[in-house]
Amino acid sequence: MNANTIRQVHDAFDQKKLSPTELTHEYLKAAKASKHNAYITIAEERALAQAKAAEQVIARDGRVPRERLPLLGIPIGIKDLFTIDGMRTTCASKMLDNYFPPYTATVVDRLEAAGAVTLGKLNMDEFAMGGSNENSAYGPVKHPTHSDRVPGGSSGGSATAVKAGLCLAALGTDTGGSIRLPASYCGIVGMKPTYGRVSRYGLVAFASSLDQAGPMTNSVEDTARILQVMSGHDPRDSTSAPRPPGDWIGALSKTPDWKSLRVGVPKEYFVGGLTGDVEKAVQSSLKWFESKGAQLVPISLPHTEYAVAVYYVVAVCEASSNLARYDGVRFGVRPKEALEAPDLAGFYKRVRAAFGPEVKRRIILGTFALSSGYYDAYYKRACQVRRLMAQDFAKAFEQVDVIAAPVSPTTAFKLGEKTSDPLQMYLNDIFTIPVNLAGLPALSVPCGEDSQKLPIGLQLIGPAFGDEKLISIAQAFEQGRRT
Amino acid sequence: MAQVDEALTRKVADLARLELTDVEVRTFTHQLGEILKYVDQLKRANVDGIEPLTHPLDLATPMREDRIEAPPRDAAGKPKILTSAPDVLYDGYKVPPIL
Repeated sequence: MNANTIRQVHDAFDQKKLSPTELTHEYLKAAKASKHNAYITIAEERALAQAKAAEQVIARDGRVPRERLPLLGIPIGIKDLFTIDGMRTTCASKMLDNYFPPYTATVVDRLEAAGAVTLGKLNMDEFAMGGSNENSAYGPVKHPTHSDRVPGGSSGGSATAVKAGLCLAALGTDTGGSIRLPASYCGIVGMKPTYGRVSRYGLVAFASSLDQAGPMTNSVEDTARILQVMSGHDPRDSTSAPRPPGDWIGALSKTPDWKSLRVGVPKEYFVGGLTGDVEKAVQSSLKWFESKGAQLVPISLPHTEYAVAVYYVVAVCEASSNLARYDGVRFGVRPKEALEAPDLAGFYKRVRAAFGPEVKRRIILGTFALSSGYYDAYYKRACQVRRLMAQDFAKAFEQVDVIAAPVSPTTAFKLGEKTSDPLQMYLNDIFTIPVNLAGLPALSVPCGEDSQKLPIGLQLIGPAFGDEKLISIAQAFEQGRRT
Repeated sequence: MAQVDEALTRKVADLARLELTDVEVRTFTHQLGEILKYVDQLKRANVDGIEPLTHPLDLATPMREDRIEAPPRDAAGKPKILTSAPDVLYDGYKVPPIL
């Protein structure tokens, strides 16, 4: 498939070189034949019907009406954490093995209203808990090009599907790095917008103050196009910022004013622990910004060292609360053993046996940190340090316009390499977590490869609601570094 | 630091309505211990006078008009909210007796 971006696909449709049903059919074929285990559900009939409808629009209009239906006929994969009315949604958990939501997530609604074709639901770490997509009840996802490696998580299926040509673009979610990390490991673009810019209605909750949906694509341009459609206030999400969608597309053509651009380099993100190739690729990217005329400004985010500790209190506490709803009463599995339980507590316990080990671990950790006698020392204190971390960023953004950093200390590791030590796995998230804690926008854009040709992502972080500026800078970087 | 032993793990699992095997109790107790030891470094931070941050946005709960809307129903007329109910009785969720 030569058409790799939305614009290329629409050009091909207009030039009659390709039709929506041909394109959707190609992707469905690739999805079904692939050994990556990226998809949990492939919605073949529904997708082909959407493609057919797209074809009829093009036939009637003579061309793709790009203003009115900016994603017409574009085949997209949806992380299995988003609800779609009538389509199986599992969150990669046995708990929701039989769940068919009665409603569709706002962001999916918006994409489909813009003409997108939903190919199916993508594999992920169970309930978004994980950094390698090894925690799925439906089997791990393989890296798109190196089959002995992880794609990163929790949006591993989304990242693999985009890079391996199993969809043109995908939706992921990011709570502690789950869009940016797999994007970095797989060599695609992934963006987490400012908290509140994109609706969480229909996004199955893991940590409500951290979760955000975002696109995963082959280009910064596609990221902007999809966010243009997805973003903006949603009255059905009470945590949705009361703001209009914004101008993501306009940001693509705004070349940064390089001479006045101050790029912050946080010293705490470069203290040892980075593998050589990652450090080299990120430093080379920083030099590129400098060569364009931007000023590199050393900054300090002094509370960075607490990031993983804060997250693994705050996120797990929110998770323990959010996952209390899985009780076998209104939805989800209700096994026979549960019906045979001697009492209600027993009933709940036997239903909740459907959770995988990582989910159980986090629920237990979160329940502990919220329990009487420990709440102040753990949850409250973590929230106080969270504010200190948000203040670190606010202070930094008084001196700089954007912060550049690695996404991960390493490139994609081998399947099974980190599964025996949860804490080791958690430490992977050290550069991505602070962004979620502060609610800021951030993206990962490919910036190089290591000696094994494993992709490396550059992270760009912006001030709250400064997402469009990140798009401008990332676009210039992507286009400028194309050799 | 909290004393993380198997009794604590069992107590917390019970609060969370999770059933753990003996092997899981042992493994989780060890892992919880390691994680909490790591998390304990938060004690070093100076949080005097710092308001806890529980949410990145300063939002008031939006209110809407108190208006009854008909529940969405499927093609057969059944309320859609019951689509994935494990067991249904009339318009309600059927559950085992709790008393």
